[in-house]
Amino acid sequence: MINGISNMLTNHWFWGALTIACLAWYSTITIYVAIKGAGDIREMLRKLARGKHGEA
Amino acid sequence: MTNFSLLDGGIVGVYLLVTMIAGVMVRKYVGKVEDFLVAGREMNVYLGIASLAATEFGIVTCMYTAQNGFEKGFAGAIPGVLTFIAMYLVGYTGFCVKPLRDSGVMTIPELFEQKFGTRVRWASGVVIVLGGLLNMGVFLRTGGDFLVHVSGLDPSYLEIMMTALLVGVAVYTILGGMLSVLVTDYLQFIVMSLGLIVVTFLILDRVGWSTLVNTVQTNYGEGGFNPLKNASMGWSYVIFNALLNTAAVLTWQTQIARVLAAKDSATGRKVYTGTSFFFVARFLIPGIWGIAALALLTPEQIGGDTLLAMPKMLSIVVPAGLMGLLVASMLAADMSTDSSYMLTWGSVIYNDIMAPFRKAPWPEKKGLFWNRTIIAIIGVFLLIYGLWYKLEGDLWTYLGITGSIYLSSMSVLLIACCYWKRANSWGAAAAIVCGAAIPALTLVLQKVGPYTEWFTQNGTVCGIATYVIVALSMVIGSLLKPKS
Repeated sequence: MINGISNMLTNHWFWGALTIACLAWYSTITIYVAIKGAGDIREMLRKLARGKHGEA
Repeated sequence: MTNFSLLDGGIVGVYLLVTMIAGVMVRKYVGKVEDFLVAGREMNVYLGIASLAATEFGIVTCMYTAQNGFEKGFAGAIPGVLTFIAMYLVGYTGFCVKPLRDSGVMTIPELFEQKFGTRVRWASGVVIVLGGLLNMGVFLRTGGDFLVHVSGLDPSYLEIMMTALLVGVAVYTILGGMLSVLVTDYLQFIVMSLGLIVVTFLILDRVGWSTLVNTVQTNYGEGGFNPLKNASMGWSYVIFNALLNTAAVLTWQTQIARVLAAKDSATGRKVYTGTSFFFVARFLIPGIWGIAALALLTPEQIGGDTLLAMPKMLSIVVPAGLMGLLVASMLAADMSTDSSYMLTWGSVIYNDIMAPFRKAPWPEKKGLFWNRTIIAIIGVFLLIYGLWYKLEGDLWTYLGITGSIYLSSMSVLLIACCYWKRANSWGAAAAIVCGAAIPALTLVLQKVGPYTEWFTQNGTVCGIATYVIVALSMVIGSLLKPKS
């Protein structure tokens, strides 16, 4: 693992570093958005339901 | 022969079922046209990030970015880096998107009406829909090609599979509009991301970084790492993509729909800055898959079509079990893109092209009926156009040119509308005509006439010319109109 990362940072470092950054960022944001996004959906639907009942 | 097993079929089936149920269930929250088109403007940051990322990554994206990696090496990921810079800067500064969201409009042409009048609004709507639907026309066949090659299905099932996929997506989009799109996008983002990340780690493990780098070095030399030294790219490619991607960030209907559906302009800007780096992954991850295909497949295995090299490689490398996750993630990517594209182009048809027919505001029920009907009609159009259109040249250039039909004029109009007091309807009309005519003419000249080869090889030069001419048209047209 460490050898692989080291290889990516020395062998054409720009694309290696960008690939590592992509995978690290993407893995993190997926977990973060999965958790926080569920809350956003609940809140959005709650507000829409309240709006509909308010109109009625 | 692929590794697609019964277990993989089960994974795909469960994914499809859960998505469809979720998409259909939220239909009960749709009471007004505003709920249908912009989710009642209740979208928050994280849902916005999930939705924007899922929408902007479809199978077609995966195919053309992998083709870029296969044909250009790592340098093929440059459009992703340019999009990241453009989106981050636009989100950070609020350039155009802040005044757009603050105006409270549902589509960009609606904003144009305030400065340029009703005719420009209508013409903008026509140009947006024309460019957007031409662009989307290749999605289904390309997506079908991917699924057929990865899963090892008989290619004669491609049309049936495309139709079934589109009908499924259309059902929940027609019922729930933007609400269904957002909720299914959220699920699709998770499934899609999981598949993309796991398969990329698998490829890096199986193929190895050194092999990827050596393959690019052997096939493309320094040009495989530096776009300016690549014979098929160069300055014109980089400049065209910088213009194209900045214009897309500002005006591409599916992207800007997230800003318009956001709770406020600050939320919309956060969605942009938060999603911006995804666009590097959007090009680099499939690009690595394309390079892996170049490293692993023989010319005989690839055949004549480089677009299909990546799915052929995946069908060999990805093991059973993981294949289900891959196909589910690609279906997720495609469904989220299709649903959002149908809804957002439909919203422009209803909100702007049909605006002259609504002398008085329509009842909400009638508005919803027409929005749903328009989406159904778009679905039928896509099936017909997606089945018979034969793509010439590489996919990214085709998408760039068809997108430029409206991106060039709409981005110039939006910037002028927000920041240039002297801009007026004459300039707007001139910009719209030039912005639609030049890319459309390029498409025609790529197929007929004595210079088809030149126009096919110099699509990016034509693209840059379009943006320059459109900007000049706006300035000259506006200055020519007498002050009233």
